Amino acid sequence: MSTECPLSPEVFTAKTFRSNLKPIWCPGCGDYGVVTALYRALAAIKRPPHEIAFISGIGCSSRIPGYTTAYGFNTVHGRALPIAQGIKMANPELLVLVAGGDGDGFSIGGGHVPHAIRRNLDLTYIVMDNQIYGLTKGQLSPTSPRGKKTASTVYGSMEDPVNPLLYVLAYGAGFVAQGVPADMEGLANLLEEAIRYPGFSFVNIQSPCITYGEPDTQLKTQKTRMRKLEAEGHDSSNRLRAMELAQEYGRTLYTGVFYRNPNPPPTYESQIRERQQELNGKDMALEQLLGAKDAENGNLVAG
Amino acid sequence: MVDDLIIGMAGSGGDGIVSAGESLISAAAAEGYFAILTKSFGSQIRGGESSCRLRVSTRPVLNPGGTLSVAVVLNWEDFLKFGAELPVGANTVVVYETKTGVEPAVIPLGGVTPAVVFAAPMEAMALKAAGTMQAKNSVVLGLLAGWFGLARKSILKGISKKFARKGAAVLEGNERAFAAGLEYAEQHPLSADRQLSPPAPTAGRKLLTDGNDMCGAAALFAGCKFFGGYPITPASEIMQYLGREIWKYGGSLLQAEDEIAGVAAAVGASFAGVKAMTATSGPGLSLKTEVLGLASVAELPLVCVDVQRGGPSTGMPTKAEQADLFAAVFSAHGDTVRPVLAPISVADTFGITVEAFNIAEQYQTPVIVLSDQEIAQRKEIVTPIDTSRFKLIERLKPTEQELDQYTRFRFTESGISPLSHPGMKGGNYLAAGIEHNEQGAPTASGEMHARMNDKRLRKMDPLKQRHDLFVLEGDPDATIGLISWGSVAGVALEALHLARAEGLKARLLVPKLLYPVAEDVYREFFAPLRKCLVIEQSHQGQLYRIIRMWVPVPPEFQVLAKSGSNPISPEEVLEKIRLMARA
Repeated sequence: MSTECPLSPEVFTAKTFRSNLKPIWCPGCGDYGVVTALYRALAAIKRPPHEIAFISGIGCSSRIPGYTTAYGFNTVHGRALPIAQGIKMANPELLVLVAGGDGDGFSIGGGHVPHAIRRNLDLTYIVMDNQIYGLTKGQLSPTSPRGKKTASTVYGSMEDPVNPLLYVLAYGAGFVAQGVPADMEGLANLLEEAIRYPGFSFVNIQSPCITYGEPDTQLKTQKTRMRKLEAEGHDSSNRLRAMELAQEYGRTLYTGVFYRNPNPPPTYESQIRERQQELNGKDMALEQLLGAKDAENGNLVAG
Repeated sequence: MVDDLIIGMAGSGGDGIVSAGESLISAAAAEGYFAILTKSFGSQIRGGESSCRLRVSTRPVLNPGGTLSVAVVLNWEDFLKFGAELPVGANTVVVYETKTGVEPAVIPLGGVTPAVVFAAPMEAMALKAAGTMQAKNSVVLGLLAGWFGLARKSILKGISKKFARKGAAVLEGNERAFAAGLEYAEQHPLSADRQLSPPAPTAGRKLLTDGNDMCGAAALFAGCKFFGGYPITPASEIMQYLGREIWKYGGSLLQAEDEIAGVAAAVGASFAGVKAMTATSGPGLSLKTEVLGLASVAELPLVCVDVQRGGPSTGMPTKAEQADLFAAVFSAHGDTVRPVLAPISVADTFGITVEAFNIAEQYQTPVIVLSDQEIAQRKEIVTPIDTSRFKLIERLKPTEQELDQYTRFRFTESGISPLSHPGMKGGNYLAAGIEHNEQGAPTASGEMHARMNDKRLRKMDPLKQRHDLFVLEGDPDATIGLISWGSVAGVALEALHLARAEGLKARLLVPKLLYPVAEDVYREFFAPLRKCLVIEQSHQGQLYRIIRMWVPVPPEFQVLAKSGSNPISPEEVLEKIRLMARA
């Protein structure tokens, strides 16, 4: 029997990342699976919780940062992405995770998604897509299918849903995947891969709402409906094919990586660091601060 | 000789009037004068009418002044569009373009008879000297240098600096145009003496800058490491300044996709542990208010600058107004106190911005700085600021011991709890817009909500004792009082000086801390007063009304309130003081 202590006191298991807050989610909610998969992914990534900033918006799924031991920020509805970008810009060393629901990401916060993508900060955006507003008790969401009857559309919705996969692919996201909590191992692996991708990564998780969701979206049916992209022979470096497959959103339940940029471009934060180094350091005297443009405009005047 | 000269010039966009004003103020700064240059445009991007007003003096200048000493009119139609912004009076020297074809006796000034009216062939002189009408503004500079004794050497130096890049022909043309103007002025002396006295011999090195650049510089000095914002008139220059400078000091800047994302990113940066700022104008402030509420409840430091313009909505983006005070004070949802500060000049913008960062960090709260279009965009000659007198405050961080069992929102006597940030081991916590307990866990308990509200409000109480955030001037035993804030405070201050020169006793209070209302400061100020006048640039008199909400006021408590873009002059305030003294 070995008497050796482990060399590193830091041993990361799923438990390391689980907080003692009890989730408010309904029994049977898909989000339980999501947070469990995330614990596993983080255990594999091996960054200590205090080096992780986990940002969310508002909604059932946005409660998720509180159920982890990371630094959490449960912000306002729809603004998780810009807040997360400010965090990453202020401290690029942090591992930054962003999470929210389909309403948070593709309705009230939908305007921020393209900009987060084109800036390409190294953060991972996890959307728990349940096609309904659960926390406000069952209204139409941006991913609800046309014709869906909800508390706010009693006669059925008259508009087409947003396609989150096509949306982010169209704006050039470098990593786009979809997972289901019914496939715990697959989801944990997807999240790990997304976090490891050096740039903006997006994971759409079909996370069923047990209370307001349709029966055919629940965990049990996910197992029979899901089709793994890998098994279908999809080449995840083929963006156009990924977009073709993404059009099946709402019909075919594909899981796995739709697209992974084989040549990730430089991240925003790496360019910030370059610029800071290039322009680096000056005296703090007011004359210097204000005089920086004096050569051009004669802003600072010598008496 | 005069000590103080107010020059107003107007023409159409291509006349180079504003450029002439800029040349004059640079020259005045180089010679050691004090001056303020305000520019005014129509809302066109290019072309249309443009004007500037330069007040130059041997003493520090407190405001752009009232009636013009000199009016330069390149065409009457454009000049008259500025109305009350360029007022002509009985002491004004009016110089106008001969080509306008108007006889001196019938100039369209609505019955005002100026001291001197002079038609000069400015365009013809430019054509003759430089071969182009574009040199018209150099002719104007020559005329002004000649008639008013303005810094001719420094102006010439400025001309050569400005045109050197454009080639020898352009440079020489402008030099000849300047000489032609100068010669014309010498050959046609004015009947009234308007020669400016030489500057004080002690005049040393000066800074020439505007409020927006000053605000950006102060942010850097205060240690701001992140700016998030969105272009909006008249605040964009803060972002532009920082976009050029902040990288040099290890910071970064995000021109966000909208106003909300700008402030949201700044809140994120503050959560991550750095000093952060956003800047905007009225409509942007409305968009940012939800996220400001988040910063209040998550107790995160943040500076939000609102460069006020005419409102509501798009209103008058290029004109100053002080009508966002209600929005700054009251637009928060929930029971929140957000400190609101206002600088009174370009120079003061430095100290107030630094103060805003200090208050934000000390009390872990968003702070709103209410600048306005006038301060933000006017050029001012400023005595260099002794930055060593500013102390910088950093947020309270948890000690090693506190990190052992970290409690982010711990109830303390002051209401301020140590604040960790991601990366700090042991400091892990959940920040949230949701009401929370001491640990940060969400709660819906009424008792906890009340205690947290009390904590968040109580921690701000010491601010109400900050007498240093008020300017108090005048006779302590006066029974007549004045209150004014922001850019209008300089007008009130000058009116006070004028009143005292007439032997009228009055006292002026200028709050730079507008909220929370420092009740004791006002109470002390009001104690000996019989009458008090609040002077401000808003239609309702917003400060006047806010004071009445919190403090018992003197028997006669009045307001001189005007909508934006309707200048308030020192003479006008003086007249009010005279009336108050008489009754």
